[in-house]
Amino acid sequence: MKNFDIIIIGAGPNGLSAASYLSKSGKKVLVVEKNEKVGGLALYADSSSSLSKKVIDQLGLKINARKKRTFVTSLNDSFNHTVLEIDENNSIKFNECEASLEDQNSFLKLVKKYNLFAKTLSSFMFNTPPRVKSGNKSDLWQLISMGWKVRKLGKKNMRELLRVIGLNIADDLEDNLTNDNLMGILCNEAVLGSNLGPRSPGSILTLLYSNAINGSIFRNNNLDTEQIISSIEQSCHDRGVEFLKSSEVKKLLINNETVTGIEMNDQNIIESSTIISTLDPKTTYLNLIGADRLDTDLIRRVTNFRSKGNVAKVKIEFKNIIKIKNLDEKYIGSKFIYAPNIKYIEHAFNNNKYNNYSKKPCLEFYIDNKNISANLYYIPYLKNGSHDKKEIESNIQLILNNFIDNNELIKFEIDTPNEMEKKYNTSGGHWHHGDMEIDQLLIIRPFYGSAQYETPINGLYICGAGTHPGGGITGINAINASKQLLKK
Amino acid sequence: MSKSIYDVAIIGGGHNGLTTACYLAKAGLKVVVIEKQSYVGGAAVSREIHPGWTYSNCSYVCSLLRPEIFRDLELSKYGLQIIPYEGSASMLDDGRYYAHYNDHDLTYRSIAQFSKKDAEAYDRFGKDVMRQCKIIKPLLKMTPPDPTSFAPKDIMGLLDFAKFFAAKDELGGLGEKEIYDTIRFWTMSVRDYLEEYFESDIVKAHLAGSAIIGTALGPYSPGSAYVLLHHYMGEVDGTVGAWGYSRGGMGSITKAMAASLKASDGEIKAGSPVTEILIKNNKSYGIVLENGDEIYANKIVSNLDVKRTFLKVVEKKELPEDFYNAVKNFKIRGSSGKLNIALDDLPIWKSIPEGDPAGTGDLHITQSIEEMEGAYDDWKDCRWSSLPYVDMCIPSINDPTMAPQGKHYMSVFVQYVPYNLANGGWTEDKKLEFGEHVMNRIGSYSTNFNDIINHAEIRTPKELEQEVGLTEGNIFQGELTMDQLMFNRPIPGYAQYKTPIKNLYMCGSSTHPGGGVMGAPGANAAREILIDLRKQINTHYI
Amino acid sequence: MNKNLSYKKPLLETPFHERTLEACYNNDWYRWAGYKIAKEYSSTELEYTSMRNTAGVIDITPMHKYDIKGVQAREFVNKLVTRDVSKIQPNQIMYIIWCNEDGNVIDDGTVFCLKEDHLKIMCAERNLNWFTDTATGFNVKIQDITETIAALAFQGPLSCKILNLLKVTDIENLQPFKFGNYKINKSDVLISRTGFSGDLGYEIWCNPADALNVWDSLFKFNRDYKVLPAGMNSLDMVRIEAGFIQPNADFMSAEQALRTNRMKNPYELGLSWLVNLEKNYFTGKKALKKIKNSKLNKKLVGLDIQGDKPANGSVLYDSNKKEIGIVTAAIWSPTLKSNIAMGYVDSNHMKLGSKVYAEIYHPEELEYKKIWAECEVVKKQFFNNNRKNAIPAYI
Repeated sequence: MKNFDIIIIGAGPNGLSAASYLSKSGKKVLVVEKNEKVGGLALYADSSSSLSKKVIDQLGLKINARKKRTFVTSLNDSFNHTVLEIDENNSIKFNECEASLEDQNSFLKLVKKYNLFAKTLSSFMFNTPPRVKSGNKSDLWQLISMGWKVRKLGKKNMRELLRVIGLNIADDLEDNLTNDNLMGILCNEAVLGSNLGPRSPGSILTLLYSNAINGSIFRNNNLDTEQIISSIEQSCHDRGVEFLKSSEVKKLLINNETVTGIEMNDQNIIESSTIISTLDPKTTYLNLIGADRLDTDLIRRVTNFRSKGNVAKVKIEFKNIIKIKNLDEKYIGSKFIYAPNIKYIEHAFNNNKYNNYSKKPCLEFYIDNKNISANLYYIPYLKNGSHDKKEIESNIQLILNNFIDNNELIKFEIDTPNEMEKKYNTSGGHWHHGDMEIDQLLIIRPFYGSAQYETPINGLYICGAGTHPGGGITGINAINASKQLLKK
Repeated sequence: MSKSIYDVAIIGGGHNGLTTACYLAKAGLKVVVIEKQSYVGGAAVSREIHPGWTYSNCSYVCSLLRPEIFRDLELSKYGLQIIPYEGSASMLDDGRYYAHYNDHDLTYRSIAQFSKKDAEAYDRFGKDVMRQCKIIKPLLKMTPPDPTSFAPKDIMGLLDFAKFFAAKDELGGLGEKEIYDTIRFWTMSVRDYLEEYFESDIVKAHLAGSAIIGTALGPYSPGSAYVLLHHYMGEVDGTVGAWGYSRGGMGSITKAMAASLKASDGEIKAGSPVTEILIKNNKSYGIVLENGDEIYANKIVSNLDVKRTFLKVVEKKELPEDFYNAVKNFKIRGSSGKLNIALDDLPIWKSIPEGDPAGTGDLHITQSIEEMEGAYDDWKDCRWSSLPYVDMCIPSINDPTMAPQGKHYMSVFVQYVPYNLANGGWTEDKKLEFGEHVMNRIGSYSTNFNDIINHAEIRTPKELEQEVGLTEGNIFQGELTMDQLMFNRPIPGYAQYKTPIKNLYMCGSSTHPGGGVMGAPGANAAREILIDLRKQINTHYI
Repeated sequence: MNKNLSYKKPLLETPFHERTLEACYNNDWYRWAGYKIAKEYSSTELEYTSMRNTAGVIDITPMHKYDIKGVQAREFVNKLVTRDVSKIQPNQIMYIIWCNEDGNVIDDGTVFCLKEDHLKIMCAERNLNWFTDTATGFNVKIQDITETIAALAFQGPLSCKILNLLKVTDIENLQPFKFGNYKINKSDVLISRTGFSGDLGYEIWCNPADALNVWDSLFKFNRDYKVLPAGMNSLDMVRIEAGFIQPNADFMSAEQALRTNRMKNPYELGLSWLVNLEKNYFTGKKALKKIKNSKLNKKLVGLDIQGDKPANGSVLYDSNKKEIGIVTAAIWSPTLKSNIAMGYVDSNHMKLGSKVYAEIYHPEELEYKKIWAECEVVKKQFFNNNRKNAIPAYI
């Protein structure tokens, strides 16, 4: 095989982004992907809006799908659905809403507050996290400038930010709103993909953090994931990145704490002095590197990294074209949410705590003619993968039948976190490769000593969702890591 | 209608109000403490509810009381003595028990019965928690700096805070790793934290108890590990994390404080509920009592929780709207109940043999963290826990003053009990039903418990609110969560014991560093008042 | 509840307890890993002398013992420790230390190779969690076997002679840091030529059921050769003379230290000879490489102190009375007739022959007398007798 400057393991959004970015800097890059298709875990997302303009520019992506408006529909058991319309400027209009005008205004005020805070956090996203106490001036400077950015919010907002980052979303919603549907919409944004319920402290932080990239919780620039992936792939091809698909890496070749190449499952060896792993930290450290090359303290940190997924992906096919009861057909392209109230979501979360899947789960889904593609939570990763899929199916059916008239389910497919783990080599099948809670964020993501995209193995970098700034189809992990790599 | 004039009037004679009063009186100020009940003490009281028995009917054990305060107020001279525990235990359904002793080797072997690895990990856990205790200790005495302020005082405070992490200190300097450990400890759930050390359910459950006592968090809730720390940072004679009984009940603490106050010429007006704080031009200048009496004072200090202070005794029109709303949204949730039981004999436990010192300290009933989280799930749905976490002790084993000879007093702390009970709220019948529910659970671990109950006082969050004045019956005067700690406690921007009203201060557990019979909020408040009055005193704390 | 756990008996008794109890006239006990071990049986001086003159018997049962089995047993231990033990052969013993990721020492001990896939580690502190966590990914089974083996240290110039008299065949040809299977009065024992005394000596490992038989045998020839049971106090004396360090006495184990500056790396402890930076990866390798290439700020050295007052806990100064270190262990050595100690000194005083000063507080009839004593930095191994390594051993 040819010589490559850099080998990237995994062709998810971060792998592809890193490949594109680095080959633009003149590096010869090879991307190795286990599956036939690129995209990785991102293929589970129907759409995404976390790609920032910065990343689009840096990767030279050709994306052209700015919609005029987007709808978010929250289904209500009494069929008073709430429909939000998000226009080009990301501002929100209530197309259908049973809530009082006062509530609607409070909702908008809350969203505005969260957006402001999300924007403040966004400036942290595009940098490699600083190290505290490194004695390095640039690290200290970065810490100070982070503090300064928060201070620039002004007294009142800064105080509120420092308060709500430790707060749970349910409390803040109940302090400001009375309408269940409106609360459900924001809860859904806060807890989906996390290991938190609405009443878990820290759930506001997850909300802010996951929307920090674009500084807005509701965005109009929703893009089809396949389109994002293929445009990044295209940019890779344009820049001369080579691909090796359907090839699984068995382990890294390491000599004297320095990486020298990879060994494939078919025993082929490809040499390179720089390797980037986009796999999750647990898989990277324990399987690719191997525990025998890790300090015991690090092994402890790796095994303590919490990475149990709890969202399942469901594809359902109905016999006829799907219609939602008591909802205008023009909203059928909405993002649908079924998270009717805080108590319901919290109860769904209760099951998750005890390693059970929710009997009455929450849903976020899209409708395409006869098909539904849904994120279902909470469906936790179970050690032996013992989910009763038939039961999950009937649980969902119970919910959907309520809203869908005169139709019949003819096909049901589900990928639980266990399947995600298997298909994409992601320990625990976690969307974000690991919980995004304060103790696993920013300067501590994934853990002490690895938060700067580097590893104890010279030449080996990590840039999966397990690194700063975490999950979501952002490409930022990749770009931060690439910059760090190019500095060396 | 009488009128009187003081330098400082303190509303509420709990341990913090008395602490503030003592320090201010020591500085030569004319001080009065006004208490609604006919006795002082707030939630640190000893009461003879049942003839012959003394109940510590709210708080029941002591460890957090700062030793400097103990010393400054000469509490020993006024009769206070702390008796350390000899051990603690958790009783299991299968007839075994998990015990901690003062003897390290014995504790090791006790844990090793369940897991050898856990017995060993306990030392590492103890060391890591101890390190956090040492980090937090100087913070308790600190008036939290305002991170949004540019005032020199706040900048210096923040620098102190940063220096504290950066500089070499008695711990030999905290490295990057130790700083991360601190961040993790302050934000993680106690369950996640314990899972990093232990494998056995009962070991984790026994240790997690301290993390849920008094809070509206479950052991799975992020931030609950901090509550564990809050209960561990106390000490009895330098043994960090040790707990003890106050001889004569918890009231001995406040009785000694009251005596200390009187010795410094401070006054106490008991049986005088306050109806209003007099405010003019945004300045407080006096207090109106229920009987119409007015008391004027240069400085007014409220020992009441922040909600009670600003929603009950200060008029809304006097407060900035933001502040008022923030007070309204302050999280102060009742989650605990208490049973005080007079026993005709010592309970015989099915598992713990008589004489075992582990049985004389705090006894927990819990099987696993999962069970505790389930208890929390019940609370979230406004029910009392079907399997409540019970933390009980029998002080009369070590303290002969609590019960008649041969008889005993048992304090039973119950987690979780809601303030707002589903289906119609609390009634006298519901209260009895709750008490019976708890006693049944305890009874199932004993062979004689049900037969030796002489009298039981059942206290739900409602009673705690009505009698002690703690809003919703929250024992910490406000949740100990990240959004309400340090410079956020009680209200962001008002964490320095001052309020939007001039000359009106707060000194209760609603302020930093929070609840527990610690005295630190009271002493910190006294220090701030003295600074404002440009007065100095020479004590160990201030 | 476990029958043998009672609050009335906080400490465990070793299989030798029947005898140690009888011999311990002073009833002066020491806690060692939850066991009751004699501090002093009758006279520390006599017990010490027996180890330097005839032989002393020390109950070392509390020593933690871990059994490591599996095809990767040697690989695992090699990953654990700083020394290259990959080629350890059956019947061989190596002195080892292990460090955490920062290169700070957790504990020291000895590894015994029974078979290529079966090793045992004997050490002073509890290490089950550290070992198991280190073994992640290795095909090994680790077990704490402390309670299943009774152990005695049999140290002194006559130790081989007495074993010989007990018809322990060919014991005189057992080399230092080797072990073999032998019989003492019909009991199967494992004997290793190891010990803390810096002199000829053995350690005897046996089944708890055989413990009393082994103990009694060692005292069988007492009419001719006076063997004494020796307590922890006398053991401490011989180990200081021999220059052996002890975790949680001379340094805090990195797993247990509350204060980060109480942890020490092998270079600071003068154990650089145990660190092999060329071998496969082991915990701490990266950190130790860095430490090796940077300046050492403090080091544990031997001190020869003027006068005869032991310098326990003394602060060390340079000639300008600036604090430069502390003493960790000190005794008056009856054999060397010297006032010796081990202690940490700063980078300016690590060289052999450097002069430092100890401030000694010496109790004299209720009053402490402050003594300012000059000390010379010397090698830690104060006592070193040729008998230790001689083959055949002195009979």
